[in-house]
Amino acid sequence: MTNDDVEKMSFEDSMKALEELVAKLEGGELDLDQSLEVYERAIALRDRCRKILDASDRKVQTIMATVNGGEQRADFKEIDG
Amino acid sequence: MTEAITVTELNTRVKGLFGATPALQNVWVVGELSNVKRYTSGHYYFTIKDPGSEIRAVMFRSSRARLDFEPADSMKIQAFGRIDMYVERGSYQFIVETMRASGTGSLYLQYEQLKHKLEAEGLFAAARKRPLPRYPKVIGVVTSPTGAVIHDIITTTRRLFPADILLAPAQVQGEGAAASVVAGIQLLNRAGVDVIIVGRGGGSIEDLWAFNEEPVARAIAASKVPVISSVGHETDFTIADLVADVRAATPTAAAELAVRNKQEILRQMDDDTRRLNKALTRKVDLMRSRFSVLDSKLDPKRARERVDLLAMHLDELSSRLGAALNAEVGRMHKRYAAAAGRLNPAVLALLAAKRAGTATASARMEALSPYSVLSRGYSFVAGADGRAITSVKKLRVGATVTVRMRDGRAEAEVKKKVISE
Repeated sequence: MTNDDVEKMSFEDSMKALEELVAKLEGGELDLDQSLEVYERAIALRDRCRKILDASDRKVQTIMATVNGGEQRADFKEIDG
Repeated sequence: MTEAITVTELNTRVKGLFGATPALQNVWVVGELSNVKRYTSGHYYFTIKDPGSEIRAVMFRSSRARLDFEPADSMKIQAFGRIDMYVERGSYQFIVETMRASGTGSLYLQYEQLKHKLEAEGLFAAARKRPLPRYPKVIGVVTSPTGAVIHDIITTTRRLFPADILLAPAQVQGEGAAASVVAGIQLLNRAGVDVIIVGRGGGSIEDLWAFNEEPVARAIAASKVPVISSVGHETDFTIADLVADVRAATPTAAAELAVRNKQEILRQMDDDTRRLNKALTRKVDLMRSRFSVLDSKLDPKRARERVDLLAMHLDELSSRLGAALNAEVGRMHKRYAAAAGRLNPAVLALLAAKRAGTATASARMEALSPYSVLSRGYSFVAGADGRAITSVKKLRVGATVTVRMRDGRAEAEVKKKVISE
């Protein structure tokens, strides 16, 4: 099993999966192969979460309704004062 | 003759009598204000009178926000409140909860009416309150684009967690404000945000009025995503605050509720990593010790040899440590020197073997296991102490022994023994 799918997971799903895998590995019910798979997937999930947390490219936008019922977004610039 | 009581006791009895008399509680009284004094404490003291009588009255600071006018001498008013005893002075007074100028409709009254109506519908019920998402990707905000509210939210979330912010600019006071706030909530619902903050800064009851209007309350209740309200400050709750899933005292508090602290999450992930390493290390250690114990039971003479063989295989695995693992270990050492240090060499070797794709780790460990012998059809006999019995001479006729096979064990009785020379 590869862990490529992890790159597409949301932060919330990644954190949830990570917590589940930690508990699973600590349960000690797995055989060695399964343990290693779980371990590697957990590390991949942790790295995914960290990547999202370290991201600095968050967007701050405004949204307005348009007359035809659609929406229009624009970057938000704070106005002082 | 009954015993004499103290003055304090007497006045306390009167106080109790007032409190227990419904006709003196929650009454509207009509009259004119005089001797209005506002103290630095924020409390108002005044007299309410009509041509025939007068009564001392007090309005506490906490009730002041309910007024939409400034009390002044000779105003004709209706005051709502109750009679209470001021025990220390032996005088009674009227405690005013709210007032309205005679002839005008009171905002506070409208507020109370809507509050009761929505409360009866169950819109404020605790069961309706939804949990906030733990890690929102997009936070919707309905507020003025120029106020301090949006500034505080942007600053706070930037500090805590990298969530996107989508602002639906709204007019938050004056004519049309309620409709503007409603449109914002609905627009953000369509845009698919994870949580919505609805807010404005503090102000008078008139300034905050949009948040006491029914359409705003309905829009919050109908929102598909949880709503955090941050309207005004401190003690006074607007209807919007009551309907919202969570009420925050300030915009900064609202932002803190919406996102978790990044440092906290990082600490949790460090903890997760330590737990993973510990669990995996324990697993491998457990398997190693299980093999060597079984080995020694099965054939004490070869135990040493077996352990050496195991070590040799592990060395071989270590030598296959691939570039991928080196990178992983390097990264672990950099950020988690302590945690990674606890991963023993056997774990690293097994990881390396797995990454190299040479063979499954279990198969390699399995090759070293006494169980692999059992799976080929051999079995061994153990005595009551669990140790392998390797000589017929050690068996006693009539003794119970355990026969260990690949998939389990059987209890057997020794009926006869023949020693072959």
